[in-house]
Amino acid sequence: MWIKLGSCALVATAALAGADIHGTIIIERKLSRHNVTASAGMYQRGVAVELGADGETDPLAFERSHVAVYLEGGPKSSGTESGKASIEQKDRRFVPDLVVIPAGSAVSFPNFDPIFHNVFSLSKAKSFDLGNYPEGQSRLVTFPVPGVVAVYCHLHSNMAASIVVAPSRWAVRVDKDGVFALKDVPAGTYTVVAWHKTAGTFRKTVTIGERDAEVSFTLPYAESTDADHVAHR
Amino acid sequence: VNMRFATRTFLSSFIPFAVLLAVSFWAIRASVMETVRDGLRASVRDNEVALAREQARNEGRNRKLLEGIGENPSLKAGLQLLATEGGATEQARNTVLDQLSEICDSLSFDFMMVSGARGEPLAAVVRYAGGFAPVNLARLHPPEQGFFSADGRLYEVTSVPIREADSQVATLTVGGLFDISRFGVPAVLLHNGAVITAQMRDLAPAQIERALAACSPLADCNLRIQNEQYLSLPLGRPGGNGNDGYTLRSLQNVDAASAPLQAVLRKLFLVAGFIALAAMLGISALSSRSIARPLVDVVSHLRLSAATGELPEFPETHGGAHEIRDLTQGFNNAARAVHEGRERLTRAYVQFVGSLAQALDARDAYTAGHSRRVSEYSCAIAKALNLTEDDLEIIRVGALLHDLGKIGISDLVLQKPGRLTPEENQLIRQHPVIGKRILENVQGLEAYLGIVELHHENLDGTGYPHGLKGEETPLYARIVKVADAYDAMTSDRPYRRGKSHAEAIAVLRSVSGSEMDPLVVDAFALLGDQRKQQAAFAGNQSLRSLSDAVQGDAEVPGPAATAGLEVVAREREAS
Repeated sequence: MWIKLGSCALVATAALAGADIHGTIIIERKLSRHNVTASAGMYQRGVAVELGADGETDPLAFERSHVAVYLEGGPKSSGTESGKASIEQKDRRFVPDLVVIPAGSAVSFPNFDPIFHNVFSLSKAKSFDLGNYPEGQSRLVTFPVPGVVAVYCHLHSNMAASIVVAPSRWAVRVDKDGVFALKDVPAGTYTVVAWHKTAGTFRKTVTIGERDAEVSFTLPYAESTDADHVAHR
Repeated sequence: VNMRFATRTFLSSFIPFAVLLAVSFWAIRASVMETVRDGLRASVRDNEVALAREQARNEGRNRKLLEGIGENPSLKAGLQLLATEGGATEQARNTVLDQLSEICDSLSFDFMMVSGARGEPLAAVVRYAGGFAPVNLARLHPPEQGFFSADGRLYEVTSVPIREADSQVATLTVGGLFDISRFGVPAVLLHNGAVITAQMRDLAPAQIERALAACSPLADCNLRIQNEQYLSLPLGRPGGNGNDGYTLRSLQNVDAASAPLQAVLRKLFLVAGFIALAAMLGISALSSRSIARPLVDVVSHLRLSAATGELPEFPETHGGAHEIRDLTQGFNNAARAVHEGRERLTRAYVQFVGSLAQALDARDAYTAGHSRRVSEYSCAIAKALNLTEDDLEIIRVGALLHDLGKIGISDLVLQKPGRLTPEENQLIRQHPVIGKRILENVQGLEAYLGIVELHHENLDGTGYPHGLKGEETPLYARIVKVADAYDAMTSDRPYRRGKSHAEAIAVLRSVSGSEMDPLVVDAFALLGDQRKQQAAFAGNQSLRSLSDAVQGDAEVPGPAATAGLEVVAREREAS
């Protein structure tokens, strides 16, 4: 049931012979405080660990990897496009806690914990409640409308995940180094959007011709702080 | 009780003061101790009341916090899950257990339990081995309020409602391990009067139970354990004291709290007491001494007087009390009067006896002045022998009286011319004993008895009346004997003229060593002719002694001779 998103996009954009957009996200300071409880087992909880305190995990890398980048103003993502995206419930957390999908994609929510979980959202882009379901079960949700969907669990109020539903099929999650690439974008003028949960939405206009374009964002200082994600609840 | 005046004075001043001092010190110490103890008890009480109030306030705050937990939507969702999925579903209960563990962990509780609307326990977790473990509710039934023990550990729990739309749908029970040391005061937890846990390790639980049995569960309590004062107050606790059989009380040793201060006070009082006692002792000793000293002096003086028969006067004392001074003055006056009386009496006797001697001398014209001359010669010898004034006085008077015994001898014998028969001689020889008998009953003349009795003893023991030898005859008598013999030899008699001085000395020398004391004879010989000296001396009426009084103006001059003495002298010369 997993559909290869990349190969479909390649097929769709090959005829247009567009260029790539390369970019870098620079995070200047920590944007959010993350306390992660590293769970050892069902009823075993360790002490709270502040992310980055161990030196191995760069807190700015964590922030960079939690930025979603997508294009606006391009050809609309057709409803037929669907991706293989999944948010697992494991150790009382949503893994991963950020998913970037084109509109019309579906996300599965399998429960790998030996306890009940409940997945729901009250966001404008998609409201749903999957009810309580035990280990081994999964639910599938399709997201046709672009926007940011915040996902929670009734039973565990500290569980949260974000699903960024992009209007186009050029939508990626930035890697730890802050590097992203939007491949095979047809020539034209677009708006590149960078979204971070606490920093907000940042926009930059880019015109694509024959050559690859470069777009860089420096967070949290942006021209636009239109935080449309706050409207979801 | 027979004790010395000084001792009695000392004891009567020291003992009452010492007793008074000791009693008042003891009383002061006891009252100070009691005050200190009361003060400490009050402060301990205040402290405990403040702690109890703080405790109650904390309980209130904790309760509000717990009520906040009761509003936890996740927990409510979990309970809903449990209700919809049913208790039989393992994972549903695990979900709730996991939620409880999470809340417990984040809020540092050791125990958490949810119960349904009817109070039936649904799920419970307890901190166990670094994590949390589910509680087997079939076996353990924790109360909603109060205490329970599991696996040998004591938990203290309280409950808050979980409400939905103003109706209680469930109950959340939370708790922690009971820590008796958290109250800040020594505390004890009892269940139905039995000690569950106590902070006092030095007290046996049975002692605490016995002592606290009399205390009302909700009131302050003063009690004694092992002879020490304890104060016990009810401490605030979830569920209230006594409803479930559990009682939580403070138990503070008041004496231990005041012990350091008491020790200091005790030491202080002991030191002060000893100093005061020592001062008291010294003052008593000094005062008793100053009171008794003059009296002791007087007494020892009187004792000396009693022992010697003398009545020496007191030296003038200026330091003594008026009474003492009056006493010594009175004594001095009395002593002086007695002295004078005694002197007068003695003088009267001497005068009387001297008159007798003179009368004796006057019986025979030839012996007139004999006693006076013997007295003078004897004094001269005594002076030459360097005897004291007192000795001289005795010799002077003794010599005057030496022939007193002749009163008792008939004139026929005494004045008989010619040879005496042995019987008559025997009579004459009794005169020293008769003289002694006359004088020995007269008080004050004891000193002259030796001369009167023994002036006819010889050195070689051939004399009379006792035949004493050498030094057995006193020196006084030996002196008078020489003077007597000399005067007898040099006096004229009706039947012969007196010998010259040289002849008399020659006769004395011839019997020196056998009859006469050689020392005395030598001394007398060195003096020269006493009669010439006496003639020069006769005009000089400077004798102030008693012999003066004896002689007075009754001197009978003239060469009167007595045959008796002549006979004696003659016999002596012959032998």
